Amino acid sequence: MQCAEHLRVQALFDGELDAVSAAAVERHVGHCADCRTLLEELERMRGRIRRDLEYGEAPRELRSALARALDAEAAAEERRRSPPVVWRGRPFWLGTLTGAGAALAAGVAVVLLAPLFFAPLPEELIAAHLRSLEPGRLTQVISTDRHTVKPWFAGRADVSPVVADFAPQGFALVGGRTDSLGQQRAAVLVYAHGAHVINVFAFLPGRGEPPAQASRRGYHIACWRGGDLDYCAVSDAGWEELGTLRELIADLGARDAR
Amino acid sequence: MDDKRSRFEAQVLPHLDAAYRLARWLSRAPGDADDIVQEAFLRAFRSFDTLRSPDARAWVLAIVRNCHLSALQHGRRRAAEPLDEEHETDAGAGDVPAAADPEAASIERDERRALARLIGALPGEHREVLVLRELEDMSYREIAAVTAVPIGTVMSRLARARAALRAKWHEESEGDGRAVR
Repeated sequence: MQCAEHLRVQALFDGELDAVSAAAVERHVGHCADCRTLLEELERMRGRIRRDLEYGEAPRELRSALARALDAEAAAEERRRSPPVVWRGRPFWLGTLTGAGAALAAGVAVVLLAPLFFAPLPEELIAAHLRSLEPGRLTQVISTDRHTVKPWFAGRADVSPVVADFAPQGFALVGGRTDSLGQQRAAVLVYAHGAHVINVFAFLPGRGEPPAQASRRGYHIACWRGGDLDYCAVSDAGWEELGTLRELIADLGARDAR
Repeated sequence: MDDKRSRFEAQVLPHLDAAYRLARWLSRAPGDADDIVQEAFLRAFRSFDTLRSPDARAWVLAIVRNCHLSALQHGRRRAAEPLDEEHETDAGAGDVPAAADPEAASIERDERRALARLIGALPGEHREVLVLRELEDMSYREIAAVTAVPIGTVMSRLARARAALRAKWHEESEGDGRAVR
């Protein structure tokens, strides 16, 4: 039968007893063979576990992916605290972006940017981009591994975009998510470029083409056609950076297609 | 850089390895462990301003544990992916030091795997107290903080976990006629 002192012997073994209790339990162990055996086995087992079970350290890839995700998160929080200049200026039409105001703004956007494009895409993209910068909204799958991100879209988004990490070129893949755009579930790739977050939306083309370049509220939108999908990169990063990322993704898409 | 980011770096990131080990042992799959740890650290970062306790390790390990549990609940575990295979080869044991006798080395490797398998087969609540106590060397109080149970429960779970492991271990070593010790 098991000795009633087992828990106290274990506590002694784990160094959880004060000096007085420890002395008492040690005295007990001195004349209880059962508890002596327990103590020896605990010792032996700890030795084996500490010698054999390391499970080591966090993999390097995890460490660097996490660092990038944290950078992106910190940058997003920073931006929420101090919105970009244009945003702070509160253009007069911003407050009226409801009802008729929204219709008017969308109408203006459509006329100015893409006369043929059916959906109010630029505003929608900007709104989706801003939403993504709210806490916890940026990514639903966090990975720099395209073999993780691409399959993740299956069944969640309506399209399967070109996915790649361009960390060496300065555009680190942080992860992905899906956003509702118009009537579809767009696949969104999230890249970090320095302190900038770049959302790359991939979706099925609507009527007409999205604008090659557009600016709204200080944010830039660059769109292009890749295969049978439309891609739009949205960010507060500069045109040049968006252009570089577009080239990288478009090149890759072209290679994949061959 | 950002002050919060650097404070987080100094206080929480040093516990990344411990978090990874716990996630590995809880999820028993390397790919899942990566996801759990990433999610946990992002959550931790978001709520970093609310951290009052001086014990950042227990705090972040508790978040890791919660992420693991909610992933379990939502059954949103990814199917095995290429990533898993890469890490799987070294599962269970650190690098086995090169032995002069290759056969002895291989037996030792087998034993290490066996121990990892035995612990892996324990119920989750046994696994976690055992890992926190033996691998992370946490006190009962710290383990109680991570697992959100009273200290008395930590003690009894730990005792049951150790007894279960001991029983399986003896069973195993009798089974193949080789003493595991």
